[in-house]
Amino acid sequence: MATNPMHQFNVYKIGPEIKINGIDLSFTNASLFMLISGIFISLFLLLGTKDRKIVPGKFQLISEMLYNFISKMISDTAGKKAKPYFSFIFSLFIFVLFCNMVGMLPYSFTVTSHIIVTLAFAMFIFIGVTILGFVIHGFKYLKIFVPSGVPMVLLPIIMIIEIISYLSRPVSLSVRLFANMMAGHTMLKVFGGFVISLGLVAGWLPLTFSVALTGLEILVAFLQAYVFAILTCIYLNDALNLHH
Amino acid sequence: MIKIISLTTLSLFILRNAYAAEAGMPQLDPTYWASQVFWLTLIFSAIYFLIAKIFVPKIKGNIDARESQIRKDINEANSLKEEADKKLKEYNKIIDEAKLEAKKLISEGRKKINEDIQLKKEQIEKDIQKETLSATKEIEKFKINSLKKINIISEEIVSDIIKDIFKEDLNKSSIKATVSEVMKERRN
Repeated sequence: MATNPMHQFNVYKIGPEIKINGIDLSFTNASLFMLISGIFISLFLLLGTKDRKIVPGKFQLISEMLYNFISKMISDTAGKKAKPYFSFIFSLFIFVLFCNMVGMLPYSFTVTSHIIVTLAFAMFIFIGVTILGFVIHGFKYLKIFVPSGVPMVLLPIIMIIEIISYLSRPVSLSVRLFANMMAGHTMLKVFGGFVISLGLVAGWLPLTFSVALTGLEILVAFLQAYVFAILTCIYLNDALNLHH
Repeated sequence: MIKIISLTTLSLFILRNAYAAEAGMPQLDPTYWASQVFWLTLIFSAIYFLIAKIFVPKIKGNIDARESQIRKDINEANSLKEEADKKLKEYNKIIDEAKLEAKKLISEGRKKINEDIQLKKEQIEKDIQKETLSATKEIEKFKINSLKKINIISEEIVSDIIKDIFKEDLNKSSIKATVSEVMKERRN
């Protein structure tokens, strides 16, 4: 095999070293692709909102569909109370989606294939939702660990399970996105390597597989962005409307 | 299936290489973690503010504008339709009234014409009767006159014939009597 399939995930710095209080905050290729995704998002939304026609053009139609899609997702999962967080969910979905999609371009870097990035998102959501829950419901928010209609005997066990499941939310949320992105890109790289090493004789098989995998990865890129956003909505729903 | 297998192998990978990050996964190398979080925070908050302050209000405004425009158009169409219905009703009413009036006018006209015709007819019939009466009278007169004249002419002819044949004049009164007798016979 020509190169290590994990090589694509390497982070290296671009430009001068920036150090604040001994912490390295240099501009890296990861930062570059975050920036590229951000520019793509801005361009896309700029085109989508440029001419505000009654009968929309292509970009306007797509951006409005995106708006309606997320608006429906939020109202379906978290209800009307989640409306102030619409912009956040929208940004989250579109940022994750564009990072995943930009990562599908050859020779690019996938921002979301790094655990630290997804963990940062997940921790922010987890801490934010928890604070929101306590602000809205006070100490009653702890009721989330006590499901209704559970026999008293089972209650301690259920409570422990609930607490563990609540605390594992950021881990599952971040690892799901990170592992999906990394697995897909590693597989793409591995099959790409097979094409080279098997050559003209048998290289066609991994090549077909690679093409099919690319389609699958685009689906996964969309799906994972959707899952990330909808799970955020569900966590938000727990904080806003205390169900248990 | 492939996904699941690769995910499990990768999770094993993570566990095995957790303590040897540099060798296996670049994701677990903490050198640039701070940098990534820093730039992520910076760029994502920039995107968030752009979206929250500019793009979402714009898209929302546009969708709302479209909805209100459509609602306005539908309302306008409905009011126009109502007006058209009203106008149609008015039109039908006017037409019905006009038809009724026309019928009335026609029947009145017919009545008047019929009366006129009746009157004229009676007048003409009267005139005709009068004329026939006077004509029959005259015919009667002519008949009588002609009879008389025929009698006279016949008498003259008879007297002339007798004169030619017998060379003598006959008594005029006897001729007259004979002629009138013959005439009577012929008439019967």
